[in-house]
Amino acid sequence: MSKLSFRARALDAAKPLPIYRNKDLPDLTDCVSINRAVPQMPTGMEKEEESEHHLQRAISAQQVFREKKESMVIPVPEAESNITYYDRLYKGEFRIPKQLIHIQPLGLDNELPDYDMDSEDETLLNRLNRKMELKPVQFETMMDRLEKASTNQLVTLQEAKLLLNEDDYLLKSVYDYWVRKRKNCRGPSLIPQIKQEKRDGSTNSDAYVAFRRRTEKMQTRKNRKNDEASYEKMLKLRREFSRTISILEMIKKREKSKRELLHLTLEVFEKRYQIGDFTGEILNEVTVPLAEKTVYPAPISLPISSRHKTENKIKSHKIGPKHLHPFPVKPEPHFDFVRSHKKYNKRPKLDTFRQTGWPERIQTINKADIKQYDFHSSGEEDYPLSPASEPDEENDPDGVFAFRRKAGCSYHAPVVDQSCSPHWQQTGQDQLWQRNCLTALSVPRRCIAVACRRVGRGGRVVLDRTSSDLDHSLGHLDPDMLYPSAGSCVPDLPVHTNTNSHVSQRSLTQLLGDIQACRWKFFRPRPLQDNSRAEDKKGTPPVEKGGGTTLSNSVSGGFTEEQFQSHQQQLVHMHKQLQQQELQQNSTAAEAHLHLHTLDSAGAHFAASAVINTPNNENRPQIASVNGVLPNSGSFRQVKVNRSAPSGGGGAGGESGSLVRSPQLAVPQSLPHGHGHLSTVSAVSPAHTHHTARLCAPSPSALKLASVASSLDRVPKVTPTSAIDIARENHEPERLALNGLSETTVAMEVT
Amino acid sequence: MADHSVEITEGCRLPVLRRNQENEDEWPLAEILSVKDISGRKLYYVHYVDFNKRLDEWVTPDRLDIKKLQFPKKEAKTPMKNGLSGSRPSSPERDVKRKAESVSLATQVTAATPVPSLPASTEASQAALYTAIRDASFNIKSREEHEPLTSLTTNGTTSIQRHLIPPQPGRKRKNCGGTDEMVKVFQNNSPRCSTVYLLPGEDSQDSSDGIPSAPRMTGSLVSDRSHDDIVTRMKNIGCIELGRHRLKPWYFSPYPQELTSLPIIYLCEFCLKYLKSLKCLQRHLTKCNLRHPPGNEIYRKGTISFFEIDGRKNKAYSQNLCLLAKCFLDHKTLYYDTDPFLFYVMTEYDPKGFHIVGYFSKEKESTEDYNVACILTLPPYQRRGYGKLLIEFSYELSKVEGKTGTPEKPLSDLGLLSYRSYWSQTILEILMDLKSENGERPQITINEISEITSIKKEDVISTLQYLNLINYYKGQYILTLSEDIVEGHECAMQKRHLRIDPKCLHFTPKDWSKRGKW
Repeated sequence: MSKLSFRARALDAAKPLPIYRNKDLPDLTDCVSINRAVPQMPTGMEKEEESEHHLQRAISAQQVFREKKESMVIPVPEAESNITYYDRLYKGEFRIPKQLIHIQPLGLDNELPDYDMDSEDETLLNRLNRKMELKPVQFETMMDRLEKASTNQLVTLQEAKLLLNEDDYLLKSVYDYWVRKRKNCRGPSLIPQIKQEKRDGSTNSDAYVAFRRRTEKMQTRKNRKNDEASYEKMLKLRREFSRTISILEMIKKREKSKRELLHLTLEVFEKRYQIGDFTGEILNEVTVPLAEKTVYPAPISLPISSRHKTENKIKSHKIGPKHLHPFPVKPEPHFDFVRSHKKYNKRPKLDTFRQTGWPERIQTINKADIKQYDFHSSGEEDYPLSPASEPDEENDPDGVFAFRRKAGCSYHAPVVDQSCSPHWQQTGQDQLWQRNCLTALSVPRRCIAVACRRVGRGGRVVLDRTSSDLDHSLGHLDPDMLYPSAGSCVPDLPVHTNTNSHVSQRSLTQLLGDIQACRWKFFRPRPLQDNSRAEDKKGTPPVEKGGGTTLSNSVSGGFTEEQFQSHQQQLVHMHKQLQQQELQQNSTAAEAHLHLHTLDSAGAHFAASAVINTPNNENRPQIASVNGVLPNSGSFRQVKVNRSAPSGGGGAGGESGSLVRSPQLAVPQSLPHGHGHLSTVSAVSPAHTHHTARLCAPSPSALKLASVASSLDRVPKVTPTSAIDIARENHEPERLALNGLSETTVAMEVT
Repeated sequence: MADHSVEITEGCRLPVLRRNQENEDEWPLAEILSVKDISGRKLYYVHYVDFNKRLDEWVTPDRLDIKKLQFPKKEAKTPMKNGLSGSRPSSPERDVKRKAESVSLATQVTAATPVPSLPASTEASQAALYTAIRDASFNIKSREEHEPLTSLTTNGTTSIQRHLIPPQPGRKRKNCGGTDEMVKVFQNNSPRCSTVYLLPGEDSQDSSDGIPSAPRMTGSLVSDRSHDDIVTRMKNIGCIELGRHRLKPWYFSPYPQELTSLPIIYLCEFCLKYLKSLKCLQRHLTKCNLRHPPGNEIYRKGTISFFEIDGRKNKAYSQNLCLLAKCFLDHKTLYYDTDPFLFYVMTEYDPKGFHIVGYFSKEKESTEDYNVACILTLPPYQRRGYGKLLIEFSYELSKVEGKTGTPEKPLSDLGLLSYRSYWSQTILEILMDLKSENGERPQITINEISEITSIKKEDVISTLQYLNLINYYKGQYILTLSEDIVEGHECAMQKRHLRIDPKCLHFTPKDWSKRGKW
């Protein structure tokens, strides 16, 4: 046909093609022969496969029938869809959300172990579970960590210990099991993983290596360099993160032992109470060397518990001076005065911080904000300690003989009388007697006349006996005085039963009488009065704050600011009255002393009102009794104040005369209880500046106060001694808080 | 039946008993790929010549027809690991076949070039023309003048592309690139010719020294057949349990080697994690709370949903998906990571969750207008319209992007059938819906079809051709619709219930080129 001689033009994709039905074109057959002018498009298949039998059959079938017939289908290996246990395997239902599902790309990691237990593991788990409780996930996590930590070389037992941090038996059994399993394992890991490429290119042809990195995609040299650099950085970051993890791991461990220690301490307390070791003599005998050990070598750890220990010790010595009558005493050794000024500079600061610090503190506790509340747990407490001490050293007037801190040691600064007294209710009265007071030993119940107590370096309590004309009469004072004193000293010992309440009540009134009677006798150096007064004013606010926060914490409403202010006014008024009195009596010493007293009682008033307010708000039945009792138990109130505002300026101020100057930071440390906390705090929070540390510092005492208030609710009968009970119960919340703390610490570690 | 006196080795060919779809016994010729001994009993891994690899299987000696055993030719002994000559043990038949293939490749190369200077190859002497073309193209290539050839599509592009990649540092690399090319040539030609096309500075030693080339990094997971060694030629996994289904893999998949000896690999239905035992799966399910693919749902109509998963952001899932998919996709390799891909997973919802039905992957940026890299309907869901649904969805995405697209080559047999079917239906739908305006015959350009459907122009043409619609009539090209085509189409469309509803698609294409990396 001539028609075929011309060559058809190429098909133009932009040219319209008219559409015909076959029936419209009877002469179409003529065209067929030139069809090949249209280039044959490739099928896109591999050539050798294109000719495959089944495909060809299917294609031809399609062309013939325009539709696939069943038999012309390309056969494929079979698939079954009748897994009978499906419903048991995939439990529960998933409701289709109304909205399209949107997934957060980062929300997928939930830190669950990749390792999945097999039936062999289950056998082991069941075996282990006979002795302990081990959840499958725990087990898987252990295996997972072991797996991931070991590359070609298996993790050693030592490494495993660090890695897993489980108790030895469990660790050993799982580790041994893992090693065995790993050795029998055919794959490179117990967690089946896709083979990774090796950088040397040896795996380029390994069919099982998949998902190689497309390094070359980052084309230019420059880019690649960048990539390498950032890769390096990432590696570094990773290393550092894993280090962080192990550090946190260790912190967790440490916190655990801290908690344990705390529990033990509490136990010791309880036991002491049970054997009636109220004076701490027994404990002292047993623990003196031990306590010192714990205090010294552990600058980081156990701040609380170690403080507890010292505190116990101190207290046991302190116990004597409960009923202190003013005695004429010799003036203080001079060196004390030298330092006192410095010290006083510091105190007010502390106090103001305390004021602001308290509410914060309590809030933070509520929030369980670890950062803030970390004062027991953070490992860096040793850090701020040493720098803080430097300025003191610089100013140290002792020159060559100055006490120099050794790095890494936690020193308990000398505790002066006053620092003991504020914290221990029974010593509250000490404040009256300032430096020298009637001293009694609690275990051999015996009054050892007037003495001056101080805490030497290392926390030893030294009694400097002072002879006085009352020495003789003191002998017969013992029996009467000791009872109440025992009562009032107990607060931090567990359980003071109600049977004692009468005694103590009586003795308290008696005490008051004593105080009244003896007031004029008390000697007090003049120059410190101003300070003490300043203290006085500054000292009280913390109490208020503490009380306020306590209330706001434990109950809504409560002790308000107005209340506090009126209270303060009262205080001032009382001060004035007392001062007038003193002036009239022409006793200079007494004045200062009085001050102290008033302060304490004022504080007690305050604390009492705080306490009273609490139950009030909760409509507790005890209110009445509290109200009834408190007013007439002056000494008790003191006790309270001391407890509630352990480091209150008042207390400190009262001691002003006899203050031994100590490095500013050391001061809080030296203080037995509340200050113990305080120092811990300041030492702990490294993230804060020194100031903020201070700011937060008082909170433990606030906590104390809070616990006093709250524990009051729980005391069925509130009598004067209930304060003691309160004090005892104090430990409960504290422990709880600590528990909470350690728990949160753990949580933090986990994340 | 088997005669044990004769050693049946790898490379031998002989008829093997096989039951066909009609349940009749057949004795197709098969090649022994591997022999294994299980407690004294031999098993032979056979590939049925001219059947798809997915039908390869282990057979017992009694299914072998020893009498018709053909020993392997001397040159091509056992398949070699390096994937060169051994990968496809040749035989006389094979060689003939190769020639034929080469021819068709040549045709294809020519045809794909819309330059009239390479016309009607079929009219020339096939062998001669073939050689000429190969020579020409490779000479050009070795001189690194790509321009004239860049218009080549599909297979041709693959080799050229490699050259477009900037030379990699280090001699080894360079050699690899070259080797790669050589391998390609080798494969497509008779071995005799291969040396001719070696690039200067390279010798055959390079190709066998154990540093095979890496597949090109651009494009997608196209498998380089040179890696088609004996390991990847054989299925390595017996069975995969996925949700309610037990799947018999069709091809090799690089699951961890220690799992391949297990009778069953258990997959978590939702995160696709592979586990060695049911117990492990049980444990895993207590920790895995996924009930849908871990991506954003971008389409939902009825029970059908599509989830988009970023291969970079969700590596674990993407890799698991690829591993599973590789079991059913022959021509893909998992050589490189999944970063440059997006995965669109189609699911069917029931109260247990969103069950994976199939998926396709797509390059974030394709230099070759690919809108699909790999596409798969899982075997239990095959032949129920889901494949077409996946394809339809991929073109819907392209429509939103305002681009035309084509699936990455090579296509598998099933892929070709599915795509052809989709293209045919889509194009016929348009052609039949065309109404004549003002009394004139309705007409349409190929470009218009391409624009409406997002099907790449070449695919439109090939479909029209395949359907035999293009005719040259009275000096112009026309499209003719025959009765049987119209009927067949209407019939097929009636059966096509599953359709993508563009209104249910919530998809905003991202401009990946503006991002530093994918």
